[in-house]
Amino acid sequence: VARLCVCDLLVAQCDANCCCDPDCSAQDFSLFTTCSVPVVRGDSQLCSQKAAVYSLDVEANPPEMIFKLIDQVNPSIFCIHATNYKEALYLKSPEIPTAENFDQLLDKFGGATFSAQPDSWSLDTDAQNRPEANETSRYEYGVPVQTEDAFLRLPSPVVSSWCSDANPAGFLVNQATKCIRSVSVEKCDSIQALSMLFYINSSILASVFQVNITVQSIIVQSLDGMRTLLSSSEGLRLPMVLDELCINAVLGVNYHITHTDTGEIIEAAAAFVLGAISKEALTIEQSFEISFTQENTQPVPLSGNPGYVVGLPVRAGFQPQGYPFPAAFLSNKHSQLTILQSTSTQDCLAAPGARAPVLFGYNMISGCRLRITAAMKCQPLAQTLLDVLKGQSFPEYVASFGNSQAQDVLDWVPITQLHISEQMISHTLQSSCQIPVSLGIEVKWTKYGSLVNPQARIVNVTATITTTTLKQLPSGRERIIPITSSVVFTDISSPAEPSYKVWPTINIKLPFDFFYPFV
Amino acid sequence: NSSSQLSSLPLQILLYVNGVYYIFYFLATLAMMIYKSQVFSYPDDFLAPDLAVLFLMAVLEVPRLYLGFKGNLTEAEAVLGLSLGLTVGSVVLCVYLLLWQTYVLWADVLLNAVLLSAYGLESGLKVTAIAAFVS
Repeated sequence: VARLCVCDLLVAQCDANCCCDPDCSAQDFSLFTTCSVPVVRGDSQLCSQKAAVYSLDVEANPPEMIFKLIDQVNPSIFCIHATNYKEALYLKSPEIPTAENFDQLLDKFGGATFSAQPDSWSLDTDAQNRPEANETSRYEYGVPVQTEDAFLRLPSPVVSSWCSDANPAGFLVNQATKCIRSVSVEKCDSIQALSMLFYINSSILASVFQVNITVQSIIVQSLDGMRTLLSSSEGLRLPMVLDELCINAVLGVNYHITHTDTGEIIEAAAAFVLGAISKEALTIEQSFEISFTQENTQPVPLSGNPGYVVGLPVRAGFQPQGYPFPAAFLSNKHSQLTILQSTSTQDCLAAPGARAPVLFGYNMISGCRLRITAAMKCQPLAQTLLDVLKGQSFPEYVASFGNSQAQDVLDWVPITQLHISEQMISHTLQSSCQIPVSLGIEVKWTKYGSLVNPQARIVNVTATITTTTLKQLPSGRERIIPITSSVVFTDISSPAEPSYKVWPTINIKLPFDFFYPFV
Repeated sequence: NSSSQLSSLPLQILLYVNGVYYIFYFLATLAMMIYKSQVFSYPDDFLAPDLAVLFLMAVLEVPRLYLGFKGNLTEAEAVLGLSLGLTVGSVVLCVYLLLWQTYVLWADVLLNAVLLSAYGLESGLKVTAIAAFVS
């Protein structure tokens, strides 16, 4: 202990204020103010130990360094009298790995964290995967769907709009993403993310076998946006360069995963949209979607339970004809209440037929422009415009509640159709041509139920078609008429009447001779 | 009349005091071992032998004291001789706890020294009593 000096850092030189430094002479001690290390001793828990005490005597002239070797005694009754254990109060020096203890040391210290029980930490991946095989078969909500190499990828925009391929799809999480990918037509067959193989080559791990991703359907989109469904006997179509175009590039993937009610994936299918990339395009937009359905069920999405939820589509349907008694309604995706969707071309006759569903609570207005030339005939034009405004299958009934069942006929509200003519009554010439120029759908709804949790209920739906007379144009001239369609939701709920009972009053009438002897 | 009675009164008193002291000694040593294992670095393969010795000593103590009482009161030298033999075993274990424990605290030294001196005095008195019974 007398030889230990912690502050002696400079070799062959005197450290400032270090009293135990052997390189310091008497003149150096006269410059010190205190001793930075006053005591050097072992563990203070020992009953008696040697300690080296250094101190400066500042009163003497010149100041001297005093060194004393004393026995320090720990007065506590629990002081350590003796130890028979070599490393009792010292840090343990680690084992040197040799050929014999290497495996045991690797088990104990080889992982990211050191565990106290080396047996539970087995780095043998086979032994680890097999007892966990039962756990990968059962997925829970949000757990990434595992495939052979990594996870089922659903490219999505991260931070910016560029596609990131590292986004895993979570089980039972229905997602729809759109992102941009940079492409070049020359290298299009070497870009992995444009080829169908990239999305279906790895199979999903589920229970004891692996589920291959099958191709459900392929839709081919042409350069101007027209889509064609290919017959299902086609095989894989890989991208290739043809006439300065890159064809069979993946523009969208739609995964459908079927699972059991215990969380095991039994089927996986992917529907592709393939398109062509022209030479000038530097980026394309890809859209991805994944949806999970339970086997043997056909989920019907409700728009509210029971009242409509703002933002969910208004459910509509048809009544099958010829039934005198209440019958079920046909209500599926194709008979939704839809409205014309404005396009970039704004030409009514060239509209690609895209329609937007009417969402509850969202007032919408859309339109297009009709260019009338002299050569156009009235009747076909009127019919075409009616199709453009109303769509292919305009429903007859609208569900009153968000969860109206098809069997409950009384829960469905009929759509009232009105025709308004823009012409003044005095000018009515029924023989002249009337073409519809606007469709206005007014949905009247009310609040229903309790005060604290009112539910939205549709009471009345009116579809109003406004027509105007088409005047014959001199040849060579043309006119442009705006065509509009709109949806308005009006709240017609009456103010609520709180129905609280009146506090009961006590009606006591004493008999008039109650105080007889005194009054 | 002490001449007709060969049982040793000091031995009886000492055995009784030894019994009471041993209970205190056992509890104190066990508590200190628990304290040592928490405060100091006490690996399991050092703690196990120390605890084993302590419990073995407790197991030996009960028949030792019982045989001592019985031998002294019935003046049977064989029984008292057996008790003396068990005392030798207890002395060995006590010396282990005094010198060769992993951590020997100052309190350990005190307790074990007192117990050792009690054993020594007891042994002497037992030998005297056996000599008195035999003759």
